[in-house]
Amino acid sequence: MSYSVFDTKKVIDIIKYRWVYLLLSACLLLPGILAMCYSMITYPNHAPLLEGIDFTGGTIIQYSINENIPPQKISEIRTKLVSNGIENPVLQVLKPVTASGENSDKHILSVKLQTTDENRTDCTDTTDKVINEIYPDAQFGQTSSVGAVLGKQLFVNSMIAVSLAILAIIIYLTVRFRFDYALAAFLALIHDVTFVLGVFSILGIFYGVHVDSLFVTAILTVLGYSVNDTIVVFDRIRENVKFYSKKATFNEIINASVNQTLARSVNTSLTTLLILCALYFFGGVTTKDFVLVMILGILIGTYSSIFFASTIVALLNDIKESKKNKTAEI
Amino acid sequence: MKNKIILFWVIVILTIISIVCISLKPARLGLDLKGGSRIVIEAQTTETIAKITQDMMDALKATIDRRINPQGVAEITIQQIGEKKLLIEIPTDSDLKTVREKLSQTAELEFKKPVLDDKDNILGWESSGLTGSDLERAEEGTDNAGRWQVQLSFNGQGARKFAKLTKEFRGLPIAIYFNGESISEPVVQAEITGGKAEITGSFTREQVKEMVDLLNAGALPVPAKILEENAVSPTLGIDSLNQSKFAGILGLGVVMLFMLFYYRVPGLIADIALIIYSLIVFAIFNVTGVTLTLAGIAGYILSIGMAVDANILIFERTKEELKSGRTLFTAINTGFDRAFTSIFDSNMSTIITCVILYFLGSNIVKGFALTLAVGVLISMFSAITVTKNFMHIMFGTGQLKNPALFGLKEADINDAYQAAETKREKAKFGVLD
Repeated sequence: MSYSVFDTKKVIDIIKYRWVYLLLSACLLLPGILAMCYSMITYPNHAPLLEGIDFTGGTIIQYSINENIPPQKISEIRTKLVSNGIENPVLQVLKPVTASGENSDKHILSVKLQTTDENRTDCTDTTDKVINEIYPDAQFGQTSSVGAVLGKQLFVNSMIAVSLAILAIIIYLTVRFRFDYALAAFLALIHDVTFVLGVFSILGIFYGVHVDSLFVTAILTVLGYSVNDTIVVFDRIRENVKFYSKKATFNEIINASVNQTLARSVNTSLTTLLILCALYFFGGVTTKDFVLVMILGILIGTYSSIFFASTIVALLNDIKESKKNKTAEI
Repeated sequence: MKNKIILFWVIVILTIISIVCISLKPARLGLDLKGGSRIVIEAQTTETIAKITQDMMDALKATIDRRINPQGVAEITIQQIGEKKLLIEIPTDSDLKTVREKLSQTAELEFKKPVLDDKDNILGWESSGLTGSDLERAEEGTDNAGRWQVQLSFNGQGARKFAKLTKEFRGLPIAIYFNGESISEPVVQAEITGGKAEITGSFTREQVKEMVDLLNAGALPVPAKILEENAVSPTLGIDSLNQSKFAGILGLGVVMLFMLFYYRVPGLIADIALIIYSLIVFAIFNVTGVTLTLAGIAGYILSIGMAVDANILIFERTKEELKSGRTLFTAINTGFDRAFTSIFDSNMSTIITCVILYFLGSNIVKGFALTLAVGVLISMFSAITVTKNFMHIMFGTGQLKNPALFGLKEADINDAYQAAETKREKAKFGVLD
């Protein structure tokens, strides 16, 4: 009875099947990595994902309409624009502020479209047609090019901040755990973020899904979740090592720790996924991609904290052990 | 137990304060969720600026951003349209009048030296060559008497100029002009080589803050004129948002039901803790005037996830402790202590990330970092203080008589209890076996 915790139901054997899990990870990541490489070669701006209007800018068109524009109409216009091949149009209703502060009965519909120099006229013509079908008396107001919200400089600055944040996490984990745990958490994080970026790269190639500034925030959420999830498993390994290192091998401890935290890992993901799935299936169109990033992130984050991060810790330990043995032999 | 009851009432009072805060002041929602105002401004050519270049537009955009969004959390978007116009969108609750003023204000700071006659009488002021462009940064501060002042730090070149100026005019007054107006005429006491200066006068805090923001943002590279101003509906579309609101509430409801069915009574406690948590976090957002956008709400959802996670971690550990036959009081305490290290480490790493993103990231990630950090800090309080307190008050200190309250079976406990019985010694030292 000395290993009672280790004898309890072992749902997953991380150590025995570790090559299988690593292979599975590779299978999950590879298509996305290939898609990103393909995109970087073929897209004119050499970006790994299709960049949306926030990154590239586009065209803004304004129509004046002599009646109130209710949300249902906005919905109708959006659906029609999308079915005519216009991705993620930003539809807003403007009300001029008059000098006396009264609301005038003139309404302006502002449409922001993502366009390139080549397809600008096509896109504006399509939009014109759609708006005129729904509001025959709509008057074409003005059109002009609109710059990026998230310019290159801002994006680069944000990425530098994110890299520094990751570095800080590695340092923190090295202090609180050990460097090999920090390294494994870092690899798990890269694993998760690469997977989500890869999926969106594939979606970009096959379905023309663009990413915008909200996507950047969603990826940050994935990053936060990934680290959070991994740490919980590592915390259990750390604790078990403290109590059992004389009784059991490191690999046994890892196996036991993963199984002990399994219920928690699954339940936590399940609760967060419940909220996100509700938002995905019943929520609005404009936030769907954003929610999808988080759903994918949580699924892969849970997978990696159970199957990937701990496997890496075990591998790193094996490497260390074999080095030790070699020096001992010499 | 007495302390526990006091703590309970503290929690109740905190919750009531939060509800009052929320009902008194509506949340500030961002452009994407609530809409706001759209202002179009156009860069103007002047006698000295014959043509507006792209560089000037970039500089204008950057300066305006720093002026109307000095903290970076106001969730304002600025986009260039056409060749020389900027489209600025600001959330509804922003002070339009101030924004309008800030768009046209100049921010010229100049140190002037006195023009003297033979007897050192001051005839007038002339430029000393030291201006706002020599500044490193400006800060608010108070002097020894508690009066508000603007504290200036010059860059290398500015510090040299200032040292020369103070050396030359020691014992004489110099004048500080802001936007063409003399705001202070201090007498130079000694040569100042450190590159620091203070502007003291009878300023209010608001005046000082405005000057500091303007000085830090710098002067507009080209003059700009407001062309049009419109109220604007949310960028994410009212149609979409109404659906998402419904979906979010539905999702939260399902999560609460799940907690209740899986963890039973502790699940109920966690649900209550979660409601208290949401109220406190929202109250903090309201009081601090954070503008909530979808990105901010993402941070909030993630922090809810982590709050639920903390509760789940604690309950799983408490269950394990109960299975090994501990009394309720010890099981709850040990469950919390064991879960604490992982909650602490995971939340600390999140907070570190947020701090770095907040101070170094651009405006799009600042709001996210702020809401996530607030959320995580409160979630630690909620899980460790609120949940623990409620558990103790609810269950007291005896043996667990009805395992179904925790979603456990009688058999689970008895089996493990006997196993643990053989190792009483070890159990004392908190060893899980």
